[in-house]
Amino acid sequence: MKFFDMHIHTKFSEGESTVEEIAQMAKRLGLAGVCLVYYINKFKEREELEAELKEVEKRYDIKLFMGFKARNLKELRFLVEKRREYDFLFVKGGDLKLNRKAVETPEVDILTHPEFERFDSGLNHIMVKLAKKNNVAIEFNFREVMTTSKVTRSNILKHLRLNMMLCKKYGTPIVITSGAVSHWEMKDPLVLSSFGILLGLDIKDAKRALSETPMKMIKMVRERRSKRWIRPGVRIV
Amino acid sequence: MKRMKVLPLSLREKKRYIAFKVIHEEGEDFPQEDLISAIWNTFLDFYGEHGVSTLSLKVLKDLWREKSKVGVVRCNHISVWKVILGLGLISRLGDTKITIKILKVSGTLKKIKETLQQLKK
Repeated sequence: MKFFDMHIHTKFSEGESTVEEIAQMAKRLGLAGVCLVYYINKFKEREELEAELKEVEKRYDIKLFMGFKARNLKELRFLVEKRREYDFLFVKGGDLKLNRKAVETPEVDILTHPEFERFDSGLNHIMVKLAKKNNVAIEFNFREVMTTSKVTRSNILKHLRLNMMLCKKYGTPIVITSGAVSHWEMKDPLVLSSFGILLGLDIKDAKRALSETPMKMIKMVRERRSKRWIRPGVRIV
Repeated sequence: MKRMKVLPLSLREKKRYIAFKVIHEEGEDFPQEDLISAIWNTFLDFYGEHGVSTLSLKVLKDLWREKSKVGVVRCNHISVWKVILGLGLISRLGDTKITIKILKVSGTLKKIKETLQQLKK
């Protein structure tokens, strides 16, 4: 089974590790691929970044993808316009308006930690249904649990469990990620699937969140970036 | 003193052994005691005293491989994923940054020892 970690920051965004260090660690942990997340300030340099990814990809025999994360509505609008020029579109969750906009936008791939710094879970049944309709995956971020403690951690777990229940009920795609900002924070796929089980998934679904769901997304990305693709459901035959 | 009669096999708890490798920063080292205390502290923080009591957790000190930093923990068969998650929550040993890779989960000590032997080769 091939496992993917879809949310890792390099030193070019808020992280501290190089692409090479991340690829090396991913290989050691048995991951088949990772998605590196950048912010909009690196958008102009995306071609150089992509060239670097391809070079490291060959050296370590591992799949590396480039994703951009929108932190507000303005950034989201910009990234949606340029959607064909990179692999994955992430939206930073936490703000209710942005969460709603993300699940309403079919161009978005992953809504990251919708409960981030909130007193509620950041999602309701309507938003989860919209996410399912627009094929937006909801992220469950391991780093949030790893870096917090006591009351904060228990509140985060409560919100994650509620979001997981909603996603399971409505069949919304789920991805479990390490959310690492350093290669030392990257996790074994078994640890991440155990995290899914803790939140209420069964073993099969937990593994699917690390393997099948990302693979489907990768397939869609490849299709979207090909010259034949025009818009969702329309392509040149 | 008369010894207590052991439980029949069907009533004994089913054990699982989890072999793991500690991947750490190059040039930094840590003693086994640090790892053991980190495991207990992390588990007690995350699951609490009652939660840890349900895991039947034991760190097998004798099977620690100092050179390759490979260790084994034992738990009951229904808590395997909880123990794996707990191990994944350990990110530091003192000043050394670490991450843990799960090598094998097995029901017998023999199989785990075989895995450790293969790693040596």
